[in-house]
Amino acid sequence: MNDLVAWASLAPLLALVGSLINAFFGRSLKEPAPGIIASVAVGLGFVLSLLAFFGIAGTGEAVRVGLWDFLRAGDLELSLGFHLDQLSVLMMLIITGVGFLIHVYSIGYMHGDDGYSRYFAQMNLFVASMLVLVMADSFVFMFVGWEGVGVCSFLLIGFWYKDLANASAGRKAFIVNRVGDFGFLVAMFLTFKVFGTLDIQTVNAMAPTMLYGSAALTGIGLLYLLAATGKSAQLPLQVWLPDAMAGPTPVSALIHAATMVTAGVYLIARTSAVYAVAPGALATVAWVGVLTALIAAIAAVGQTDIKRVLAYSTISQVGFMIAAVGAGAYWAGIFHVFTHAFFKGLLFLAAGSVMHALGGEQDMRKMGGLGKRMKITGTTALIATLAIAGVPFLSSFFSKDAILAATFTSGTLADAGGGVLYALLLITAGITALYMFRWYYLVFAGPERLDRGASQRVHESPGVMTVPLVVLAIGSVLAGYVGLPAFLTDNRIMNWLSHSTTTGEFTHLGVATEWLMLLGAVVVAFIGLGVGYWVYVVGKGALVKRLDNTPIAGASRGAFGFDALYKAVFVDTGSGAAEAVTLLDREVVDRGFVGLGGVAPLLGGLIRRWQSGNVRAYAFAMLLGAAGLTLVAALVGVLK
Amino acid sequence: MVLVPLAAALLVMLARNSLGLARVIAVAGSVATLVLAVLLPDSRGFDAQWLPGIGVSFSLGGNGAAAVLTFAAALMMIPAVLVATTRVEKGAGGFAALLLVALAGLNGIFMAKDLVLFYIFWEATLIPGLLLLGIYGGERRREATVKYLVYAVTGSFFMLVSILALKALSGAPSFHIVDLMLVTPNLPVATQTWLFVGMALGMAVKLPLWPLHSWLVDLNEQNHHSGAADVLGSLYKVGSFGFFAWALPLLPAGAIRVAPILLALAVVTAIYGALGAVGSKHLKRFLAYGSLSHMGIIGVGVFGMHLSGLNGAMYFLAAQMISTGGLFLVFGMLYHRRRSYDMADYGGLARSAPALAAFSLFLIFTFIGVPGLSNFPGEFTSLLGSFQATPWPAAIATLTVIVAGVYGVNLYQKLYQGPTDVRVPDLDVLEMYVLLPVVVGVLWFGLLPAPHMERIETQAQVATLQLERVTLPPGGPTLSDVGGAR
Amino acid sequence: MVPTEYYVGLSAILFALGSVGVLTRRSAIMLFLSVELMLNAANLAMVAFARGWAASGSKTALDGQTAVFIVLAIAAAEVAVGLGILVAIFRNRVSTNVDELAEVRG
Repeated sequence: MNDLVAWASLAPLLALVGSLINAFFGRSLKEPAPGIIASVAVGLGFVLSLLAFFGIAGTGEAVRVGLWDFLRAGDLELSLGFHLDQLSVLMMLIITGVGFLIHVYSIGYMHGDDGYSRYFAQMNLFVASMLVLVMADSFVFMFVGWEGVGVCSFLLIGFWYKDLANASAGRKAFIVNRVGDFGFLVAMFLTFKVFGTLDIQTVNAMAPTMLYGSAALTGIGLLYLLAATGKSAQLPLQVWLPDAMAGPTPVSALIHAATMVTAGVYLIARTSAVYAVAPGALATVAWVGVLTALIAAIAAVGQTDIKRVLAYSTISQVGFMIAAVGAGAYWAGIFHVFTHAFFKGLLFLAAGSVMHALGGEQDMRKMGGLGKRMKITGTTALIATLAIAGVPFLSSFFSKDAILAATFTSGTLADAGGGVLYALLLITAGITALYMFRWYYLVFAGPERLDRGASQRVHESPGVMTVPLVVLAIGSVLAGYVGLPAFLTDNRIMNWLSHSTTTGEFTHLGVATEWLMLLGAVVVAFIGLGVGYWVYVVGKGALVKRLDNTPIAGASRGAFGFDALYKAVFVDTGSGAAEAVTLLDREVVDRGFVGLGGVAPLLGGLIRRWQSGNVRAYAFAMLLGAAGLTLVAALVGVLK
Repeated sequence: MVLVPLAAALLVMLARNSLGLARVIAVAGSVATLVLAVLLPDSRGFDAQWLPGIGVSFSLGGNGAAAVLTFAAALMMIPAVLVATTRVEKGAGGFAALLLVALAGLNGIFMAKDLVLFYIFWEATLIPGLLLLGIYGGERRREATVKYLVYAVTGSFFMLVSILALKALSGAPSFHIVDLMLVTPNLPVATQTWLFVGMALGMAVKLPLWPLHSWLVDLNEQNHHSGAADVLGSLYKVGSFGFFAWALPLLPAGAIRVAPILLALAVVTAIYGALGAVGSKHLKRFLAYGSLSHMGIIGVGVFGMHLSGLNGAMYFLAAQMISTGGLFLVFGMLYHRRRSYDMADYGGLARSAPALAAFSLFLIFTFIGVPGLSNFPGEFTSLLGSFQATPWPAAIATLTVIVAGVYGVNLYQKLYQGPTDVRVPDLDVLEMYVLLPVVVGVLWFGLLPAPHMERIETQAQVATLQLERVTLPPGGPTLSDVGGAR
Repeated sequence: MVPTEYYVGLSAILFALGSVGVLTRRSAIMLFLSVELMLNAANLAMVAFARGWAASGSKTALDGQTAVFIVLAIAAAEVAVGLGILVAIFRNRVSTNVDELAEVRG
């Protein structure tokens, strides 16, 4: 059984090989060969992950696969290896499963693009890196995957690099990620200082013995949080994700919905034992998650680009996940990762389907009524919308409720405003339903506002694109059933993950309260949908027009001005500093030392005056010198 | 190790009129040196009496960091001589010969076991460097040469004084490192301190440590446009090796006193260099500043005086030879196409030269420390080790990864992305051969650092053992105040 | 016998006179004359000391007189070369003013 699991370590290698094949030989292959190669590589990875899943389900034990020695310097002895347990296998399934569907979808979506093989090479490289990230047994190896996905994100966001805006979006993503990487690095340094090792399982095992709430542990927790906010687009590093929509839509689906943005959640879940003894850091995590979720949800209401709504939605939903792990319910965060992968991936692919049909149009004000003309896309999109809104019996209902319950009952958050967090998340859930209703309505329902040419061209997308949509829709419905609330029945996913993550302290609620909370979430979801219906269907958007110039609308559209703020504070001061350094170096430091060199000619000039050429002066000098020497000799002789 | 490149250089000079033959000899010489470098750790070393009157012996040994550093240097010499014999318009044979002579000198620096011999090689490698700059350089080469010379010689003067005083004051029987290490740590702290300062001045120039770094920027800017001489330039920044192999083990008490200042300067160097790279519009100056930033991090690793940090720093020194040299060669290839080093003359190149773009991106990511590629293990270990001893300077120095991310992708975007208006030919076969050793080196150093690091470890332990033995008079800083050696 | 000190005193006076002459004379010939005077003052001192040592029975007393021979020979050679240079210089210029020979300067 263990061998079966160990085979899963080939999964990243398969993706890497696929990437290399496409990178070197892709251009000589005809479409859709590169796409098929890439999809097969990921598909095989999925099969291996399934085998590993069943393997671990059978034994309940984690499997380690050692690779090779990496670093050996002083006390630092680090080997690379994989650690496959319940958590990593679950993530692997998501990555390879959803990844496979998106690769297949891309075969159709990227049809005709010049960089067809380059796309698939980069997508495979991404999958390989992401797998390494979740399979790594040490922080260093995880960091390899961590930066790897950052690199691939840069490449894929700026895929259509001829347009400088796209390239800049990729650049922005990479740089903001790097701030998070800084956090990861210093966190690793501090971890080594405190724990003496960078092996994740060892650190987790040692954590309970450490000084509870010490500054060092809190520091480690906060630094890993910084890293997580970078990768997962949370406050304060969320600014790169909306711009990342410049990349091809399947990229947004895979990287910015299902996988990379969840890396932060995974990181915190992985190090749950450390956070368990650093309550200050944990509370900060929760607050970051909740605030991000709220702000992003408000921002999503005001967007007009079909993908930007989804981008802000992702930021908000990941905020939910982060809030969950911050509450100590690590399993709930991962549960939402799982369900979110389905419905958000589906939403993006549906958006891509719409854009494909409309020749690249992304402005929702020029859409509408497409549900009638693109039946499959429309229906699956509706399912995803209802799912994300939290309609009962669909997937997100269960995962979101788990998160809400966790924040309300969390022991660690009790002193840190757990009740407030619960309330804010509840409100956010309502706003989520609202903006998703708006999204669906503006794109698929209501009156048609298409451009004339587009209107004629609209057609349902080819099967290679719609089949993944259907599969994901099925997932969006069913995925929640692995996490039925514990007070009702067996919560499978919670039990599954309890082996690999610690669980925080939670106050126990009575059954009645639990039902009330469940009901509360349902009510809020329907309020959100209802408000949306009332504003857009009944009022035909009149309220929107009236509110257009209010400050809240402006804040929403401009996403609270973070971009402008960061530009002023970091970008401009940064370039200013760089200019200053270049100038300083040339004018001050360089001139300074060259100036020092001027001392020699100065001294020389002084001494030159003695070389007058005057014979008699020379003679006098000789006389003086001889007299001096004689005097010295005489004195020395006398002293002897 | 020293003789082979010298012999090759001589043969190349003899063959300089027949360029093809010269090329073959040069490449063969480099490959031979590389093979020797691989065999080095198992060899015994070479000891011969040279100037017994003052206790100088001609002693070379291949253990410790020398094995890794000579390997990287020899590896990079292969593409360098290839480029030299194909892209230099006049006097290509001489160029290649000078490169080989420099390699010989460099190997001597790394392998010398006698302090005076070390100094001789240290100074001797100036000569090919200066000749390369002065004969083959750009328009302002004279100014750059003079600057380099004056900086180097002034620093070395102080180093020489310290070296001679070291032996005289400590009463060691010879200049051999084994003899010196036994007695010099017993010198009084104040003496050790000023001796260390003297050596530090000489080595800091070659590190280069802020503010003694400006010679490097002009050197790189004015060196021959093919970039081959700059490959050597990246091999020249041996100041940190000097600290690692000589100054720290011989004068540990002085080192402990002075290290905090040097550490602070190293942090400044790292961030200053990175910011300078952001602000550069000249491709070669960009690399000079970027490399300066790396040297700052190496400095942080060395002056943190922690075993892991020292090891990582030397590994980084070897690894960055490959990535920095590689980028210089790539920029040389860009120059070859557009006759300009101004970034504004490029843009959107990925369209017409995708292979070039891919290699460039690969090397740029290496340069900024992406894991799996050559710069990461050394950079990571340097900072980790230094952090263990002195957390805050190392943490501040880690901020350079953010700035590095900025200058790296900014550069790539400026050159390769954007609306296409510049068309250049893609890589040709020769250039692929040139870049092949670079790619191999990057991957090797990036994925398999452990064996190399183990070799450096032995020499690093020597330094830390010396540091640990130090007991300073009460009232002064102790080793644990500066963070400790382990 | 005349005491050695008197001879040395005379030698010192002669030397001083010669030095003053070197420093103050502008004519090249006078310069040479003064130099010769200094040389011969030294010779006188050496002969005086030789005689003094011989009188007290030292075996190496005659070293002084040997030295005088050497100094005389050197003086002769020096004058020959010097006058030759002088003649060459003054073929181009008319005056013998030493102050005008100031071209070799920094």
